[in-house]
Amino acid sequence: MYALGIASRVIGIVFTAAGFYILWWGMGTTDSLSFVWSIGGMFVMAMGFALLTSGRQQKEVKPPPPTVTEIRCNSCDFKEIRDFQKGDYILKAVETTCPKCQSAMTIEGVYIVREEPEDKDKI
Amino acid sequence: MQLDGTNEFSWIFNLAFIAFIMIFSLYGAKFQMWQWLKQIETGLHELKRMFIESRQTAIDTFKEFGKSEEEVAKDLDRWMDYFTIMPVDLDPAGILKRLDHLLDERRDRFQEFVADIAPESTTTMNQNLENTLEVTQVLGLIFRVVRHFYLLGKKTGSQIMIMQIQMQMPDLLRLAKAYFEALSAFSEGKPIGDGIGPLVVTKFAREYGGTQENYNHEISREVGYYKIEAEGRTVYAMRATGPGGTVGKPGLAVKTLVDKFGDKLTRIITIDAALKLEGEELGRVSEGTGAAIGDLGPEKHAMEQAATERGIGIEAIVIKEDEAAAVGVMDKRILDSVPEVIERIKKSILKRTKPGDSVILAGVGNTIGIGL
Repeated sequence: MYALGIASRVIGIVFTAAGFYILWWGMGTTDSLSFVWSIGGMFVMAMGFALLTSGRQQKEVKPPPPTVTEIRCNSCDFKEIRDFQKGDYILKAVETTCPKCQSAMTIEGVYIVREEPEDKDKI
Repeated sequence: MQLDGTNEFSWIFNLAFIAFIMIFSLYGAKFQMWQWLKQIETGLHELKRMFIESRQTAIDTFKEFGKSEEEVAKDLDRWMDYFTIMPVDLDPAGILKRLDHLLDERRDRFQEFVADIAPESTTTMNQNLENTLEVTQVLGLIFRVVRHFYLLGKKTGSQIMIMQIQMQMPDLLRLAKAYFEALSAFSEGKPIGDGIGPLVVTKFAREYGGTQENYNHEISREVGYYKIEAEGRTVYAMRATGPGGTVGKPGLAVKTLVDKFGDKLTRIITIDAALKLEGEELGRVSEGTGAAIGDLGPEKHAMEQAATERGIGIEAIVIKEDEAAAVGVMDKRILDSVPEVIERIKKSILKRTKPGDSVILAGVGNTIGIGL
């Protein structure tokens, strides 16, 4: 698919360039068919642009970011982040104890971290 | 280029030019309609895909609780058309009471349906299943409405109908995508952005000794409260009971609390997620006056009425989110806003109430994935 995309872009560039040349030539000549050449040049150029822009909307669909569970010790600053497991919910007391001080631990957060696209409009 | 009419082909070019102008002035609108219809068709395919996939997710989730895939699919398809008729507004007197009644009835029917289709499910899971069902229904509704206008526009050739749906398509797709991506949150019981209100309330209550054990259940439908002492004031920290997905009836709960403890109540503070404007930061905290609740009317009315009758100050602290973040799995930036909201609550209590006063702290939002 990727190679096909590259090929269509290259052909598109060639067509656009050729179309532009024909249009330019058609506009400059005093030949009786100059109008036909110009229209033909525009047509070839349009085909080139169509090839260049086709498939642009087929953006790769990014998978959603993974949901993580943040577990914190109730007494010390120990924190563990792991993948979300079915049954996890915020403020649930987990069965495992803190490996640092053996105190009970609680789920303090279930969340995702979204990658935000850079702001184009800095207003 | 020569267009001066001196060559032998000039009449052909002139004719072609006139034909071009005529065709586009007569059929330009038709050509544009054809373009719009193609664009609607593309969007419609996307909406259909989202609906079909969400329906399958719903079936896969429901079939884990006691019924076969065929039975679930059949019942689910029947339920996709379920509707609620809004009360008549020609005579607006008492409309909120009637609407409240209808919404209660609708909720009963949803609960009844979920209990039928998932007989082996727990109460908490039932609430999550209800949410899953609602999301699938919303996606189905968007698809069917857009398809209706597409086909009707095509049939009647109505330009205005086609134009309207084409112009609304990006927004509809954005909304549908937000719900579609949120489906996994509902089916797996993950907390969503809208749940920030109840989460803040519980975190605040826990700071002052509130626990699962001293939480008072069912002050109104699926809503309860912690009674805590904070900064010398009695705070009734109220929220819907999680970790199942429910919003409950927070308006009625506030009214009940005001009726019960009204003499000493001097302030109602509501916490909720609010729709952010484009360009605003996700998780930004804002405050204002009024009841922060986005229901159809009865709950907000109950809060405002209770506050007005007794002259109690009512204020709102909101956390800004977009639609996708509000219905999707909770974003880290929303979770990170909790300490700031708690600080603002404390400041408000200290500044606008006196020691010995009572305050209602109402966390409004869906409690899916948020424990007590």
